[in-house]
Amino acid sequence: MTDLAERIAAVRRPRPRPSAVASIATLLTLLALGIASFSGLGFSWGAMIESFDNLPQFFDRVVPLAWPGWTWERATNSVVWVGWAPVGEFWASVLMTLGIVIVGTLLAALISIPVAYGAARNTSPNPTVMAICRGIGVISRAIPAVAFASIFVFLFSLGPLPGILAFALHSIGMISKMMADAIEQIDEGPRLAIRSTGGSKAQEFWSGVVPQAFPAWVAVTLHRADINLRETVILGYVGVAGLGYDLANALHALNYHRAIPIAITIIVLCLLFEIVSSVARARLLGVRPTGLGIGDAVVRAAAARSSRIASAIEKPGGGDDRTAAIERAMRRPWDSDRITSTISLVLTVVVIAGAFVASQADWLDLVTFWGNLPILLGKEHLWPPTFGIYTPDQVWSAIVVTFQVAFAATFMTIVLTVFIAPFAARNVAPNGVVRGVFRGLLLLIRGIPELILAIFFVIVSGLGAQAGTLALAIGGVGLLGKLVADSLEEVPNGPERAIVALGGTRPQVFFASTVPMSVPAFVAHVLYLLEQNVRAATLLGIVGGGGIGLYLYDSLRVSRYDQAAAFILLIIALVLVIEGVAVLIRRALK
Amino acid sequence: MTDRDTPVVSITDLGKTYSGAADPALTGVSLSVARGEIVVLLGLSGSGKSTLLRHVDGLERPTTGSVVALGADIATLRGRALRELRGRIGFIFQQFELVGPLTVLENVLTGSLADLRGPRVGLWSYPAALRRTALGHLDRVGLLERAYQRADTLSGGQQQRVAIARALMQDPEILLADEPVASLDPESSSQVMALIREIAAERGLTVVCSLHQVDLALGWGDRIIGLRAGRIVLDTTTDGLSREQVMEIYGRVATSTTELAAITTELADVREALLSEQLRDELRRDADEGVW
Repeated sequence: MTDLAERIAAVRRPRPRPSAVASIATLLTLLALGIASFSGLGFSWGAMIESFDNLPQFFDRVVPLAWPGWTWERATNSVVWVGWAPVGEFWASVLMTLGIVIVGTLLAALISIPVAYGAARNTSPNPTVMAICRGIGVISRAIPAVAFASIFVFLFSLGPLPGILAFALHSIGMISKMMADAIEQIDEGPRLAIRSTGGSKAQEFWSGVVPQAFPAWVAVTLHRADINLRETVILGYVGVAGLGYDLANALHALNYHRAIPIAITIIVLCLLFEIVSSVARARLLGVRPTGLGIGDAVVRAAAARSSRIASAIEKPGGGDDRTAAIERAMRRPWDSDRITSTISLVLTVVVIAGAFVASQADWLDLVTFWGNLPILLGKEHLWPPTFGIYTPDQVWSAIVVTFQVAFAATFMTIVLTVFIAPFAARNVAPNGVVRGVFRGLLLLIRGIPELILAIFFVIVSGLGAQAGTLALAIGGVGLLGKLVADSLEEVPNGPERAIVALGGTRPQVFFASTVPMSVPAFVAHVLYLLEQNVRAATLLGIVGGGGIGLYLYDSLRVSRYDQAAAFILLIIALVLVIEGVAVLIRRALK
Repeated sequence: MTDRDTPVVSITDLGKTYSGAADPALTGVSLSVARGEIVVLLGLSGSGKSTLLRHVDGLERPTTGSVVALGADIATLRGRALRELRGRIGFIFQQFELVGPLTVLENVLTGSLADLRGPRVGLWSYPAALRRTALGHLDRVGLLERAYQRADTLSGGQQQRVAIARALMQDPEILLADEPVASLDPESSSQVMALIREIAAERGLTVVCSLHQVDLALGWGDRIIGLRAGRIVLDTTTDGLSREQVMEIYGRVATSTTELAAITTELADVREALLSEQLRDELRRDADEGVW
């Protein structure tokens, strides 16, 4: 036995893998930065609890709700009917918002097709083109839609067109990237087949690549439209017409009786739009949607019960007389497939045409705006950028606050998620009811656009970093909780079964198998959340949530475009920095 | 001794139909296994071998009939009592089912979870005595040197030996093995099979092992039980039995539609794997030559 003991002592202990070290280091650093940020922001739990004492006051300021057509009277603290005209305006505003989102996203998708063709590894004509196309994507992603919008508002004045163009330019980043991914994932066989029949490069693309990638392209575009709709809120703040603008005006007038109904409308609109887009995506891809949103979840749940999705298998038609059969086959029969595809085509055309009309965009501006360009580029307008009235110290502390908000929010989200997500995972939750309740909770949180959440916290606990942090933290739970619960469920369940088979309890199975197998996914999701939080934190200031966005917004309000330009460049730089860091960390995690 | 005479596993008229499945997975299965017996379950994929083994470990509940393992009717057991029974029965899986990112040693230690209370995280959450035992078992399967490596860095045969060490941590009375070598190359296969046999002899273990190769079964077990489409079609000792005799009784000839389907699927899978391999090679060659 001493022999064994000696040999045990002599067993080599391999160095921990760099990726394992990297993930532990990443998590620890994030936790440390999170805690440091909390103290840096002067976060006090006392103040936070106190702010919830404001809730009754909040309700006083909100109730009674002044829905369109009603107006709130200060003297009597009641709402009175003022007629149908505002109702009509309100609906025009709803339609305009949808129009801006649809037209903007559509333009982005059209521009994205050639960009994706050049960026995909298997279709790109040469490395230079590939680098250029990928660069376009990176730049477009880095510039926030609100930055584009504020420049266009100056060029075209207030209205829908700046919003459309902002969405069009900013969405290229994500859409072209995912379109290129879809191209790279196609089956090369059909392409090869077309080449073998003597097809040209263009034929290869249109007949071999596009048919395979098209459903994914449309799905990506619809998904981006969901995101854009959620972003209309912030574009309203810089003067893009629509519901966001109405909301911003109501908030500036401190008329919460009018603001909250608009916010509720935006939430409902987001939900409805997402459900419609999820259904469309589910039909297109023939599979259950995998997205994070509430609509995807609804469609998934519905699809789980019906076997209609993904079961469209062709039935061979029976025919005995060959020539007659061939003649019959010359016309495509109006079978259910053809009817549905025709209806969807007509609907798509109608929706797009309707969107162009509803957006009320003045496309002539595109011709006339050139006149404004010299003014924009002229002295003291956009160029040269300057921090103007802000001292370097102020700018620096705004940057620090921005990162503090992002880190503190990420930290808070991690803590909350660790307790919530396991109960939303099928293989960990004690039973289906618990899982259902927690999944529902996560879904509910995801349904609310973060900026609306931020506005809510600003109203309850006042302007500042605390409101922004809380909004990002709570919103983040919806995202991270869902991602983590999914990755817990996706863990290979063989080892879990093995531990059940040897007599382990549920908690033992969780800690011995589920947790260690899902750590890499957890770190990756946390990193993604941090990236999203930094992006959001740069803009939170616009709605009063603290950070660098406040200076951008103030500069725009007083028409100091040279200052705004400086802050936009700063925001782009911050986003690029965090993206670069994330890329480096991801590389280390591999 | 009475201990020798009472069967450790006794199954009476077991039937199992999975919810949603049209055909039963098992029909009227009755058998008993005596202490120390080495039994091979022989049958094609889909014949019900895994289902049968899973019943013995209480991982499935019978639709009809009863399964009594180590004196306990598994259908009556719940919670703690069920886990205690599972703790006394080792189970070896076809795919090893190790927790890849954990060290080999920690994987072995998980075998002792049924005796411990509460969850464990990390090597040092297990008592030193257990760590020593685990290292001893690793030494027994010849993998002491690998104790602190990640489990997923090991080859298939090594992983299966770690799984055997994990089962030894349970100090089991019965060892169940579900196609333990189906994912291994011939050399690792014979190593693993020999190891199971040796350990069974050392500890007087009762072993029920499912296999699909007649040749492997013949030289290895004391007794062969043949399953086809969820029914027992053969139950005999291997003494003096020749390959031909087994083949004759058991027959790899398709005699039922389910079996035919099973063989067809198997063949199709193999062909598809070959084809896609070929296609991938071609495309890779294309890429190398810069066709794309």
